[in-house]
Amino acid sequence: MQDNLNDSVPAAAKSVSVDSREWISGRTLGLIISTTVLFAGLSLFSESFFSQYTMFVISRQIAFYVLIALAQAVCLVVGGMNLSVGAIGSISTIILGLCLDHWGLPGWLAVPLTLAAGGLAGLVNGLIITRLKIDSFIVTLSMMFIFMGLRSGISGGEPYAVKDSFTFIGQKTVLGVPYVFLIMLVVLAATGYLYRHTVFGRRMLATGGNENAARLSGINTGNMILSANVLSGLFAALAAVLWASKLGSAAPETGDDWLIISFAVAIIGGTGLNGGVISAFGIFMGGAIYLLIQHGLIEVKANPYYAKSFLGALILLAIVVDRVREIYGTRKRA
Amino acid sequence: MLELKSISKNFPGVKALDSVSLQFEPGKIHALVGENGAGKSTLIKIITGIYQPDGGEIHFNGERLCFQSYRDSLARGIDIVYQEIQVIPDSTIAENIMLDKMVTYGGTGIVNWNKINEIAATYTAMVGLNLPVSTPVRGLSAAQKQLVQIAKALAAHARVLLLDEPTSSLTEHEANNLFVMLRKLRDDGVTILFVSHKFEEVFAICDTISVMRDGRHVGTRPAAELTRSELVRMMIGRDCKDEHLGRLDVNRDRELLRVEHLTRTGKARDICFSLHEGEILGLYGLVGAGRTELARLLIGEDTPDSGAVFIDGRQAHIRSVADSLYHYKMGYVTENRKEEGLLLKEPIRTNITITVWNRLINRLTRAISPARESGITGSMIESLQIKATSHEQKTEDLSGGNQQKVSIAKWLAADCDILIIDEPTVGVDIGAKDQIHRLIWSLAKTSRKGILLISSDMPEIIKVSSRILVFKDKGIVGELTGVDDPARTYEELSTAIGRHLQ
Repeated sequence: MQDNLNDSVPAAAKSVSVDSREWISGRTLGLIISTTVLFAGLSLFSESFFSQYTMFVISRQIAFYVLIALAQAVCLVVGGMNLSVGAIGSISTIILGLCLDHWGLPGWLAVPLTLAAGGLAGLVNGLIITRLKIDSFIVTLSMMFIFMGLRSGISGGEPYAVKDSFTFIGQKTVLGVPYVFLIMLVVLAATGYLYRHTVFGRRMLATGGNENAARLSGINTGNMILSANVLSGLFAALAAVLWASKLGSAAPETGDDWLIISFAVAIIGGTGLNGGVISAFGIFMGGAIYLLIQHGLIEVKANPYYAKSFLGALILLAIVVDRVREIYGTRKRA
Repeated sequence: MLELKSISKNFPGVKALDSVSLQFEPGKIHALVGENGAGKSTLIKIITGIYQPDGGEIHFNGERLCFQSYRDSLARGIDIVYQEIQVIPDSTIAENIMLDKMVTYGGTGIVNWNKINEIAATYTAMVGLNLPVSTPVRGLSAAQKQLVQIAKALAAHARVLLLDEPTSSLTEHEANNLFVMLRKLRDDGVTILFVSHKFEEVFAICDTISVMRDGRHVGTRPAAELTRSELVRMMIGRDCKDEHLGRLDVNRDRELLRVEHLTRTGKARDICFSLHEGEILGLYGLVGAGRTELARLLIGEDTPDSGAVFIDGRQAHIRSVADSLYHYKMGYVTENRKEEGLLLKEPIRTNITITVWNRLINRLTRAISPARESGITGSMIESLQIKATSHEQKTEDLSGGNQQKVSIAKWLAADCDILIIDEPTVGVDIGAKDQIHRLIWSLAKTSRKGILLISSDMPEIIKVSSRILVFKDKGIVGELTGVDDPARTYEELSTAIGRHLQ
């Protein structure tokens, strides 16, 4: 023990970069390999896969998956969850429909209003979770039903029409890349930057890593959780706006399948279920893997009635792999 | 007789036990002492079947034991009472004691509660726990929970009883009661193995002392033939003096903190004191005397019912740790560094710079500058002599002493004037303990901080403080000034503290 005292400090500088690089490559490599294998498989066995149209559809769909997963991931990061992502998406769609169809507002006004509504829904979640100190699970579960009831009540189940001028975002491309994909890239990059470099992002990560330690280190953890929920609502509303633009109508059933997507993509992408861990690149790869597997199931003509079982198994697999890695990791160190 | 023959145990990269041979005779209390990481815990886990040894044999009354699990050891009458209290909080005392020995009506499978309560009551009486056995365990004090565990071991007719730091959460009075009971058990022929860090009690109760160091058995001596300093030398392999570190230059003209009549029901009783620049004010008392509760009131984790706090002469309104840190430059080093002090999965860098991120941002990009973060981490690692392989090392992988230094470092990085340091050397080995004492002392001496040092370790508080407040039942019951006067002896000071506690 005495001997180590002397050689410890000089060794410090050298190994800094090595440590972090090793960690990233472990997980990221797995994601890259899975995506490559899936992509290669589909290119080989499917004739239509490499068509320009398929690529357009795929990239646009990945964008939706990533945005929906972000809405979940920001809550997972602070150690909570948001079961109402889909419901917020749904109520946001209704508000967009009301703005455009019912009140005849222009798009430049309707879109910010919708995003604000999504953020407000997240704020309500966050206020209940932080001020009353109730578990995010039960709060967002209840809010999910409240929002879903509201959307059915308000819309009566009928879709709203949106203006043609509004649909180019969801349906058109620039230089062959869908607008939706570009928007997603910007949002994803900003989120990655937020968590990696800014005080706000790192305080959210610290809150999820150990809420007590973060609070006792002078972080206002309540505000961090509140902000995460607002962000979550914003992302859900953004996905809803883009989805309506893609469909060409504001359909009340928007968001019904988002809950499972949000967890699947976030988890496959390596977002920590216990908080404190997020990777923008991982979430992107998670979205790609999720989509390629869905696509693959169609290609091999899997019975669509079983689709949900495949997806459930996929999420479980991602968690199991993570857990095994964790158990193995602790053994190695003990 | 319980005999260990050349027990070895390897963990990847560590030789936890290296051919340890020990004999424990019945009817004696055996102490097992050593620094953290010396192998004591591994050894008792092997005796109780939780770990299997890689080499060597265990014999009990001439028979070789090959335990596969803790259940096997229980079946042979070997039981353990852990330092962390392991009870089922929502069950009653009787249920906890009789958990694995449920009595039923004949063979019906229906539990006979009357019988169970009756049996449990005989064991609670034996350990001196004067509570109805139908009391739920949740509301019990730490000492009472400890007694429940011991009663449970007795009910299992344990012939070998292992006690791992059993007094860590007990008051002196409660500990003495425990010792009386242990002596009685010893006289009944039970083999008792006592793991402890506290020399006073090792010498007070044990018949023989076995010392471990770096996974090896250093020696076993009758307690009567061993002095305190010899024991320390055996434990750490060199001398370690416990004298006061030296006189502090307290600036009486600058009052960093003044507390007036601070009161909070059940947590603080009319607390009044002041802390000056360059002063180390020791807050001594037993666990639960109200010192951590006071610290939490000061840093805004809890709100007082009445009273006032002044920082640098101005009345302070602290509502959160963020207020305390950013507006009043007061930091709190928690006693539970693993649960409340550190982000264990994060690198050292994150844990050191967490309090200063807002000062390290680039105006344009809003990004925290990695270079400045690394600079602060490097200078803290150097000035506090934190033993780490890199800035990016996971904090979890550091030793207890180095983790403690990291949790102090974050407040130094934030340039706090007032530091509240709560039990800084719990779970820290003796070598690192001395380093931490010197660090705290020099923070007051040369960096001119005002320090509130909370500690239940009397040698520690006398070694480092310049003044000591004695706490009892959530209030201050006494004050000792001039603790750093070189003319005063340890015996004199400790007797004075003891008098206040009466």
